[in-house]
Amino acid sequence: MYQLTDVTKLYAKGRRAVPAVRDLTLAIEDGQWLAVQGRTGHGKSTLLNLLGGLDRPTSGTIEFDGKDLARLGEDQVTRLRAQSIGFIFQTFNLVPTLSAAENVEAALIPLRVRTAERRSRVNAALDSVGLADRARHLPGEMSGGQQQRAAIARALVKEPTVLLADEPTGNLDEDTRDEIINLLEKLWRQRGLTLVLVTHDTAIAQRAQRVGVMSKGLLSVRPAGRRGTPVP
Amino acid sequence: MFFFTYLRRELRRRMRQATFIALGLALGIGLVVTVTAASAGVKKAQSQVLKSLYGVGTDITVTGKAPKPPSPGSLPAKGSQTFAIGPGGAQVCTNGKCHNAAGQKIDHLESDSYSPISQSAVAAIARLKHVKAAAGGLALSDTSITIPKNFGKPSGSLPTPNSFNVQGTDTSKLSLGPLSAGTITAGSSLRGSDASSDVAVVDSGYAKSHKLKVGSTVRIVGQSFTVIGIVAQPQSGSPPQVYIPLARAQALGKAMGKSMKNDVNTIYVSATSAADIPAVQHEIKSIVPGDAVTSASSLASQVTGSLSSTAKLANDLGRWLSILVLIAAFAVASLLTMAAVARRVREFGTLKALGWSSWRIITQVMAESLTVGIIGGAAGVGLGFAGAAIITAVAPKLTATIAPATGQHLVTAGPAGSQSFSPTATHTVAVPMSASVTVAALVAAVVLAVAGGLLAGSFGSWRIARLRPADALARIA
Repeated sequence: MYQLTDVTKLYAKGRRAVPAVRDLTLAIEDGQWLAVQGRTGHGKSTLLNLLGGLDRPTSGTIEFDGKDLARLGEDQVTRLRAQSIGFIFQTFNLVPTLSAAENVEAALIPLRVRTAERRSRVNAALDSVGLADRARHLPGEMSGGQQQRAAIARALVKEPTVLLADEPTGNLDEDTRDEIINLLEKLWRQRGLTLVLVTHDTAIAQRAQRVGVMSKGLLSVRPAGRRGTPVP
Repeated sequence: MFFFTYLRRELRRRMRQATFIALGLALGIGLVVTVTAASAGVKKAQSQVLKSLYGVGTDITVTGKAPKPPSPGSLPAKGSQTFAIGPGGAQVCTNGKCHNAAGQKIDHLESDSYSPISQSAVAAIARLKHVKAAAGGLALSDTSITIPKNFGKPSGSLPTPNSFNVQGTDTSKLSLGPLSAGTITAGSSLRGSDASSDVAVVDSGYAKSHKLKVGSTVRIVGQSFTVIGIVAQPQSGSPPQVYIPLARAQALGKAMGKSMKNDVNTIYVSATSAADIPAVQHEIKSIVPGDAVTSASSLASQVTGSLSSTAKLANDLGRWLSILVLIAAFAVASLLTMAAVARRVREFGTLKALGWSSWRIITQVMAESLTVGIIGGAAGVGLGFAGAAIITAVAPKLTATIAPATGQHLVTAGPAGSQSFSPTATHTVAVPMSASVTVAALVAAVVLAVAGGLLAGSFGSWRIARLRPADALARIA
């Protein structure tokens, strides 16, 4: 699915160039769950942005299903994101003026899905995350856990092949955290998704198949602990 | 539809800001509509003034040049009658022969304001290429005074002369000239068959003050004319009081003592199109050099008074004030929209992450701005109508004054010979001021509303187009 080769991302800070990601080479197979840990500011979110085509590397290649994201035009990357890549954020990032159903529907708008089909897919997505009864509620009327469920539904309604999650449980209490991770794991297994999850939580990271650690822009990857399936 | 749901919810979320922007636009657009309405009202008033002077359908008016007042000490013109007051009392003199005027009625029908123009000039003008029609007229003044028998004695004093305006009208071309602006309210107008008849149409105001009706008699230099109709002229006008056939006016009228047979002193011209008026004016000047050739637009420049001042106020101050307010409204709308976009960076970054293109997001933002602009425009039109209604309700009547180059002159005979003085004859009319919202103003309002919305949205859109999703999400994280 993903093949990153010698990927470097530099950010200009005054006259200096600060490396967020350095010489990263990484392969992520279809259906694999990779957790990425590391301290704040060491490049985890940058890696996620590069994988999602939200940013471009300064050097190196990022192949996604054989296409180099760095060389695709903005429209092509946007279309790819619309069709194949789902995002989940730490702060949920639901549009505050839209209901849960409408937030989920927003993900289908770029795909020009017909209204009737949009409605049925939205209902199915909300149902799969246990939020069918909250479809008309605004984000402000839902708990943190419910908002994150809605965000997961939004990420999955377009049936992506990749799910990129940036600290999905960072703003949740312990019980809700477990609830969300259990849900993500269930959906990962059911749909055969490729899941890349950034987390500070080691317990959560250990549930993945592989764990990567970002340190000053460098990534080292190892198979996960007890629950992870060993990956060559 | 998702698009409209998102738009509606977003505007509701920032209702206060949207209302503020809409009100600002409404104020600017309302001012434009009101000023345009006031300008239209002033133009309408000016047009009424001009029409009342020269009638509907008249594009150009030719008037005889100002008669030269006699130089001090010169003898009166041959045939003219002079009235002299001396130690022997009042005397009337004609061609040097004088007699006692006590007890006598002196009645003159004179062309005081304009010199005569040969009637052949009317035909010459009518033959010009871009002239649709030309008609001659005689603007005369009937002045009469009855000298009391005891005038000159200690108990005797000179009474105030009676005076009224008489318009000699070409009965074969009634669509030109002052009579064409009026509406017959009783009886009938002059007809082609009345060309040599002693019939008259009387102004409604004059008829009321002199208790005249259809069938009454008016006397003009001792000649009786039967009133066949009453005409009501536009309120703004100061029209002639009596209209008689041109041929009869030519037979009775005099200019500096000379008969006006075969003469006119005004010519009313209608051009084939408005675009031809300047060319026709130029050609007429070569036919009647020295005479005044005025079109409605050149006459408008001579109009003074509060109508003229109001026109300048509406056109200059009003226009610039509207422009300034609009610029301010547009600037505020743009700044507030940019600020709103800045607050929604997280939202737009997320939408980009979901696969929304920049254009889709820009379309959403532009639609929001356009909606606010249209709401502001609609409110502005309402404010404009209200402003126009207030102007119509409270504005005082405006005055329009025209001071022609010529005026009456009085001649007195005394030891040093005849003396004359020429008071300026000004022509002042009162004009009601009304402001009416025109279609052009409404179209302008719509265009401004759309432009305001698009301009405000474009600043926000520029920001979105430059937004890098990673940067937006970095703020989120």
